[in-house]
Amino acid sequence: MWHKISWRLLKHELRRGELTIMAAAIVLSVTAVLSLALFTDRLQAGLTERSAEFLAADRVLSSRREVSEDWISRAQDEGLQTAQRVVFNSMAFAGEQLALVDVKAVSDGYPLRGELRVADQPYAQDRLATGLPAAGEAWVAAALFQELQLEVGDTIEIGDSDFNVTRVLTYEPDVGFSVFTDSPNVLINYAELDATGLIQPGSRVRFNVLYAGDAAALDAYEEWLRPQLNDDTHNWRSVEDGDSPLARSLRRAERFMLLASLLGVVLAATAVAVAAQRYCQRNYDVVAIFKTMGAQRRQIQKIFILHLLLLTTFSIGIGVVLGWLIQSQVVDLVAKYFDVNLPAGSGRGYLLAIGTGLVSAVMFTLYPLLRLVGIPPLRVLNRQLTGTDRLRWLHWVASGGTIYLLLWLYSQQWLLSTALFVGGALAAVLLLLVGRLFIRASRQAGMQAGSAWRLAMAGLQRRAQANSVQMLSFSTAIMLLLLVLALRHELLADWQRQLPDDAPNYFLVNVAQGDVEQLQQRFVERNVEADDMYPIVPGRMTAVNGVPVVDEVSKEERESDAEVQSEQREGFGRELSLTWRDTLPPNNEVVAGEWWGDNAEPQVSIESEVAERMRVGVGDELEFNIGGEVFTVPITSVREVNWGSLQPNFFMIFNTSTLEDFPATYISSFNLPEERKKELYELFKPFPQVSLIDLDAIMDQLRDVIEQVSVAILFVLILVIVAGILVLLAQVQASLEEREKELVILRTLGAPAKLLSRAVTYEFVILGAISGLIATLAMELSLYILQTQVFELGATFHWRFWLVGPLAGAVIVGLMGRLACARLIRRNTAQLIRRLA
Amino acid sequence: MLIQTTRLKKDVETSEGILHILQPTDLQITAGETVAIVGASGSGKSTLLSLLAGLDLASAGNVSIDNVNLGDLDEEQRAKVRADKIGFIFQSFLLIPSLTALENVMLPAELAGNKDAEKQARELLTKVGLGDRLTHYPNQLSGGEQQRVAIARAFVGTPKILFADEPTGNLDAATGHKVEDLLFQMNEESGTTLVMVTHDSELAERCQRVLRMEAGQLTEVERDVA
Repeated sequence: MWHKISWRLLKHELRRGELTIMAAAIVLSVTAVLSLALFTDRLQAGLTERSAEFLAADRVLSSRREVSEDWISRAQDEGLQTAQRVVFNSMAFAGEQLALVDVKAVSDGYPLRGELRVADQPYAQDRLATGLPAAGEAWVAAALFQELQLEVGDTIEIGDSDFNVTRVLTYEPDVGFSVFTDSPNVLINYAELDATGLIQPGSRVRFNVLYAGDAAALDAYEEWLRPQLNDDTHNWRSVEDGDSPLARSLRRAERFMLLASLLGVVLAATAVAVAAQRYCQRNYDVVAIFKTMGAQRRQIQKIFILHLLLLTTFSIGIGVVLGWLIQSQVVDLVAKYFDVNLPAGSGRGYLLAIGTGLVSAVMFTLYPLLRLVGIPPLRVLNRQLTGTDRLRWLHWVASGGTIYLLLWLYSQQWLLSTALFVGGALAAVLLLLVGRLFIRASRQAGMQAGSAWRLAMAGLQRRAQANSVQMLSFSTAIMLLLLVLALRHELLADWQRQLPDDAPNYFLVNVAQGDVEQLQQRFVERNVEADDMYPIVPGRMTAVNGVPVVDEVSKEERESDAEVQSEQREGFGRELSLTWRDTLPPNNEVVAGEWWGDNAEPQVSIESEVAERMRVGVGDELEFNIGGEVFTVPITSVREVNWGSLQPNFFMIFNTSTLEDFPATYISSFNLPEERKKELYELFKPFPQVSLIDLDAIMDQLRDVIEQVSVAILFVLILVIVAGILVLLAQVQASLEEREKELVILRTLGAPAKLLSRAVTYEFVILGAISGLIATLAMELSLYILQTQVFELGATFHWRFWLVGPLAGAVIVGLMGRLACARLIRRNTAQLIRRLA
Repeated sequence: MLIQTTRLKKDVETSEGILHILQPTDLQITAGETVAIVGASGSGKSTLLSLLAGLDLASAGNVSIDNVNLGDLDEEQRAKVRADKIGFIFQSFLLIPSLTALENVMLPAELAGNKDAEKQARELLTKVGLGDRLTHYPNQLSGGEQQRVAIARAFVGTPKILFADEPTGNLDAATGHKVEDLLFQMNEESGTTLVMVTHDSELAERCQRVLRMEAGQLTEVERDVA
């Protein structure tokens, strides 16, 4: 019988709109979580797939020794695709000419991700390569054609083998961003490797195994492989690792999405919590009537638990459908707009969404429901009775636990969940205290104001306890909104900085010293924005503090004991591009020591990561060998370099006096818009030896990814805003119900509608403004921590938000209060009294 | 004896000390009697009613209904007694706003597990003159109509005792009289014992016995039974 009553209550209450807020809160939490989870899952997979191109694989194992066949066959057994890539430096000879080249020997299947592009002539239109160089063939980068004065069809000699140059290599997905430090590439077939005779024990060779396949299989393989890896020998990489601009953008986007989604989940859960409280309070009278009619406690429990479960199921159902629709629309949009395929989402999103709806509905209603069932029947005669409040701690424990659980369920990260939770709890306590303080202060101010203000202030003060709790949810909602908004802004601005519209899209190398001035003049004449010219002197670093580094390995050394070698510092294994300069280049920051300025003493500035790897710092002496001339310089500064900046960056920069006498070629970068590309030929006609490297392909890819992520972020932002508004709405509705009785009395006593409406509006405006102010403060603090600790961004002060926060709070909350109040005041007094009866 | 109290007393603790709302009271009501409890606001009438109905617990003394001492029962058992034997009518009607008139009347019968709930409720609503308003919600009914629904609800479980708390207090005089007539007529037909709290002396006069509550002290009003 009880289930009939339960069903009937639900049916009518739904139809009469009494459950709208509660249902909307659950629907929203499910919709938000589902669409976020599905969308981010799919976007993540799409982006990872896309960015895997930069590795030419999903994961890469890089090793100094040959990788065991067992490891490779194990991967194949697990259904993964594999390919091998061996990279080493060697001299290439063509007739009388010789050049240092990067040789890349690759096996069938390479590249596992992305594509290889080739052309028939240097700088001719390129096309997708089919297959790999055949036996005895090599594909060679355009720069080498110039260096070795090659023609397609010529032969080059590498080690013991001769290779016929059959194609120009125009694009390799895994070429990376460090165009300066690398020598031109030569691609040969893996099967040809042994014949070159260059791979000997102790050779400085990187053996790479590329893996691609299903994420789960990759994870399983990684788990199996990890314990067997040796940090000194092996390096395991996925696309998220590394310092490429793309990896950093992706990492940040991923963190932002996760964080914003988590905040969205917390907001949605807060909406459920606020609504649940109201849901139960609305039913106090009903329970008192039931009890008076002789209903047993258990019957009432059953009726309301079923009622709630039905409501929850109903709302979850709607939420799932809505969530699916929304994410599929957004995915369609993204796919159409960016011409990418987003892989299908996983079942995890559905579980997560349904779980969130269920868990928040049940856990947030637990205490209110307990209280509801405990309502004394005597309430029918005395409306003040609301049962016992003894178990209030249970409410905090259940609510806190639920939010923590949801954070964890969504992120699967203990640390992040705990940090967010503890931070949030502290913020909540702070908000409560500050809120109460503000209300007290505003009371003082209000005493001197006009009558609607006075009424509003008196109301605020009287409900200080309730108000500070309401303010907590107002502040939380506003703060989370501001936070997501500000973070999005920071992230986009940072990307914009990284990839401004006029970012250089061409690198220029091999400019002869005598041509520098003429070329610069030409750039000016033709209105081409170019960076500074950087001189390049090829040289080797040979010793640190007088101790030779292991570098180009001689035959004798190869045969010596490997253990002795490992104690020595390792050099770069190749020539470095050394430069000199008077001023610190842009995007460089001195983190130790000092930049030389006018100091003419020989000295060098070293990049921070290299310094760390080589275990050197300010004061250490480095020995260099440039064309046979050996000299020693002290390190006087360590620089942090933004490798994402797509500008010439250097490991070693010398002061001018140290290097200026060495013969140098120059490099630079410049920006030439797509539509002016045809001017290139004219521009460089007088400089035949100059090589151009086109960065547009890489930059386009980067821009695409960033744009996709921006759309995703906008979507997340909208969801968070909807969640925030729902919390505000639920809270305004709830607090207005508390004010209802007072309004009715004042109205009955003849207070004009205008006065009441103003008083209520002012009260909400003040609440909103204070909440907005507190929210801004909390946001600024959280943002500081997030920017510096999570997003690798610099801390900034957001003065605009100090205006926006309180203003938006006042306007939105005030407006909602006014609308809700207007509905109440439209009723005539008799209706109002009957409502209260 | 259907209702019997011995030294029934209710004290309430306030910040200014203990308030004696109900002085020790002895009262007997036999089956079928109609009793009015009159007195000023705050005199303790409603407290007495809530104790008699087992809605509240006494500070001392006993209430027994049908020879069952309510003080010996827990909340659940008292609810069972109400379900089996007691009907209520309140000044503010206390209908459930999200249920229709019919469903409101069915409610006590359903809670008691009565399979005929709907049929009985229809009959009763027809009897109180609301046969054509079955599917209306309380806010679609006038005050008098709402109270008639409440009367129908009170009688649906054929209770032995009907407690009424100011049943016409929220109604205008004309409507109030109609509701009174209906209440007494139904009471008479079903032979229910009626205990009614009111400060309407005219209404009290229609009861067989009138008790007066003054500052928590209950006295029987002697009347000329002409």
